[in-house]
Amino acid sequence: MLTVENLHKSYQVGKTTYEVLKGVSLEVADGEFVAVMGPSGSGKTTLLNCISCYIPANEGSIRLGETELARLDEDALAQVRNKKLGFVFQDFLLLDGLTVRQNILLPAIIGESISQQAEERADQLCEVFGIGRIREKYPAEISGGEKQRTAVARALINHPLLILADEPTGNLDSKSSRAVISTFQQAQESLNATIFMVTHDSFAASFCDRVVILRDGVVWQVLSKGAQPRENFQDQLLDAIREMGKE
Amino acid sequence: MKHFSQVYAALRRRNRKQYALLTGCCFFSVLLITAYVCMMRSPTILTVLPEGGDSRKQVMMIFVLAVIGCAVFTTYAAALFLRQKSQENGIFLALGASRKQVQGELFRELGIISVGSCALGAILGAPLAWLLWQLFRLCVVDTDEMALRFDPQAYLLALAFSAFVIVVTFLLGHRSIRRTNIIDIVQESHKSEPIRDVPRWYGPLGIALVAVGCILGYLMPNFFILKLRWYAPSALTALFYLPALVGLYMLLLHTVVNGWGGRRRQYKDLISTSMMKFQGRQTVRNMLVMTLLIAGAYFGSFYAPMMGSSSLMGYASRPVDYAYHFRADQDIPQGQEVQAMAAEYGVEITRYVQVPMVRLGYDGTYAKETEGPLGVTTEPVYLELLGSQPFLSVSDYNALTGDSLHLQPGQAVGIVDPINGTGGFFDPDITIVTNPVTGERLSVESVDPVAHQTLFGYYILNDQDLEQISQGLPLDWQEEMVFFDVKNCDDTYYFAKDLFHTIVDRSGPEVEVVDSWDPVDRERQIQETGSYIMDPENVKEGTGADVDYAMRDSSTFRMYWQYMPQFRVLDQTEFLRTMAVFILLFVFVSIVCFAAVIIIAYTRCMTIALTNRKVYDDLRHLGAPRKYLYQSVRGQVKRVFLTPTLVGTILIYGFYILIMLFNGDSVEISITEAVGLLASLGLIVLVSLLLYGVYRMSLKRVCSALDVQRPGKQQRA
Repeated sequence: MLTVENLHKSYQVGKTTYEVLKGVSLEVADGEFVAVMGPSGSGKTTLLNCISCYIPANEGSIRLGETELARLDEDALAQVRNKKLGFVFQDFLLLDGLTVRQNILLPAIIGESISQQAEERADQLCEVFGIGRIREKYPAEISGGEKQRTAVARALINHPLLILADEPTGNLDSKSSRAVISTFQQAQESLNATIFMVTHDSFAASFCDRVVILRDGVVWQVLSKGAQPRENFQDQLLDAIREMGKE
Repeated sequence: MKHFSQVYAALRRRNRKQYALLTGCCFFSVLLITAYVCMMRSPTILTVLPEGGDSRKQVMMIFVLAVIGCAVFTTYAAALFLRQKSQENGIFLALGASRKQVQGELFRELGIISVGSCALGAILGAPLAWLLWQLFRLCVVDTDEMALRFDPQAYLLALAFSAFVIVVTFLLGHRSIRRTNIIDIVQESHKSEPIRDVPRWYGPLGIALVAVGCILGYLMPNFFILKLRWYAPSALTALFYLPALVGLYMLLLHTVVNGWGGRRRQYKDLISTSMMKFQGRQTVRNMLVMTLLIAGAYFGSFYAPMMGSSSLMGYASRPVDYAYHFRADQDIPQGQEVQAMAAEYGVEITRYVQVPMVRLGYDGTYAKETEGPLGVTTEPVYLELLGSQPFLSVSDYNALTGDSLHLQPGQAVGIVDPINGTGGFFDPDITIVTNPVTGERLSVESVDPVAHQTLFGYYILNDQDLEQISQGLPLDWQEEMVFFDVKNCDDTYYFAKDLFHTIVDRSGPEVEVVDSWDPVDRERQIQETGSYIMDPENVKEGTGADVDYAMRDSSTFRMYWQYMPQFRVLDQTEFLRTMAVFILLFVFVSIVCFAAVIIIAYTRCMTIALTNRKVYDDLRHLGAPRKYLYQSVRGQVKRVFLTPTLVGTILIYGFYILIMLFNGDSVEISITEAVGLLASLGLIVLVSLLLYGVYRMSLKRVCSALDVQRPGKQQRA
């Protein structure tokens, strides 16, 4: 589904160059729920922004299915973002002037693929994620957890190949975080969605099939949940983070 | 909702305040500039403002200032609008909209806003100018001369400004979409504009630079002309004002970043100061434009009190009620005829003196101009026959004035103005007097000049000398001077008006000339260049300020006709009427500038409300009491109004004092100037009250937008 090979990205600040990604390689399979963790400055968000095509990488390859993203022009990249990728942001990025339902439909409207089916799908997503009763409300009238569930529904409206989530629980309380993670699980189970999530939260990451831990711009460790209970996997993650802190 | 444009429409409804702000700014800026340009280019105004004259330059200078001000605040409003729009656009791009798609919708909206509001502003600009002018005519004064006519070409300038507003709006829109990094666009509305630390000495140094810049800028052109004999190009002399501009920027920067309260107030003003500081560049730029506009507006509005006080005091201090002179070959009322006219109006003439004068040539030095690569340079050239002026015998002078001046043969005296001295152009020191017809010459020695307001610019000779030198002068080189006083002068307006009209009606076309028309100078210039610039046809073509008997009540005629009578009651009564176009033009200019200031200040204050809402929510969450929140809002709104108003007012008042100090023969302020300055101070108080009203209204609106209530009000409720 997603293949990242030897990805490099650096930023120029004044005369100083900061190399943030130093050859990151990873793969995400179809229907897989993968998290990326790591301390601040490890390159998590930069990796996600490169995959999202928001910022260009300096070197390396990002393939989505058979499509090499680096080779696409601007219009084609927009098409990829609209049709093949779905986005969930830490601060939701919902439009205050649109209702919950209109926000969910926004990618379909932008992609000019709005149809009866799209509207039915929006209603179905509202029901699946438990936001049906608030679909005619505006973002200012709903809670943080509801906003993020709206954002997940929006990310899924165009049947994307991959959902990219940047700290989706970062601005939420534990109850809302749990609800949002459940939303991802539902999306994975009932809609066979592939999810790639950047998070600081070991609790949220413990629901994933696999966790990639970044450190100083390289992949430090990859942990798989396998068949073990979620709690054990969370302990394993915490141990790994503790170990990373000692080095 | 099926289409992208419908999404935009829904967001537009939601954010209508932001749209209204940008639309209002574009509309008002174009409206004000169109009204100004229609007025400035109106043939009614151009006829009264001589080309190359100071008044026209001042109107142009304030126009440039108004254009800069309106351009800056429109650009600012567009940038603010796009900053607030950028998060929406960022989300669209992040969700897969192409830049073309987003740009298309954004441009459609910007097009509707900018083209629509500019078109409306341009269409309503001329009617606004006409309405204001009619209001003046209705409420203040009305003359035939004031019928406002518009020049269609003025619309070209208004269109150019509209085009600028539209182009800038689109360029900023294009720039905001073209940014490569979507994350930057999403986060644009959260960005602040930090200013680097500003040392505290910026404030005092800024004040010093403003003072130095104003003094240098005002005095250097005179220094070049008088000491270096060089008319330096305006671009060069304008450079000397630069320290003032730099100083002003430093002063405002210090005020915004550090404040003037010292370290004691550091914590009290922490929130309001830091909020303004982090919208730094725009805040300082706005304040700079407002300061300059306030200075320009006051500069225009001081014209009326300064001119009013000097003219009215001048009329009041005239030594004689009625004075007029005429060429001896003209059939002008005099003696018995004047007495008879006065009797018709029941006017009692208490003293009547009529004396002969002759126009004689005098010697002197003039500045011969040479056009060079660095501009015009001058060299002093002495001529034994430089020009001509009326000459009086000492006996006739004494008869007119009641003085007891005594002159020996061979002595001459120039008559200066009691207030303005030589006025910078009259030279009382002459050594040769020439009969321009016979060529006979008389060597004279100039003694100390005497002062007389009505006879300013004339010369006095010993009786025998004058009789001898004027032998052979035909009637057209001879003049008569009439002085008379009346009982109850203030009640003789209709007699004065009739006498003035009779004098004009009976004057021939040969004396329909401007006051600087000089037959001696004319002959010399025709010999040298083939034409004389002061001949009526050349004056009309050049400055447009020609004198025309058909326009005998116009300000141009009354200011420039060589034989314009000086009737105290007529001048006093018709002062406003005569100077109406001048005064109202400057009042109009001031209104436009003050309106621009008010709009900029109001926009800036509403920006505080729009951009800092979250900060005030956070402060509330931190437990800030209502009083603290109110004081913080008031601190910012106050600074937006107070700083530019205070700096602009002090700056221009100081500059006016400087002009008054140096515009005479000596460095002092005359009594009329002092009264004018005092009257201007009264005007400052009135305008400050108006600005205070706008400040209160803006504070109320900002508080309401931020849900911050005035503590006292809450308690009463």
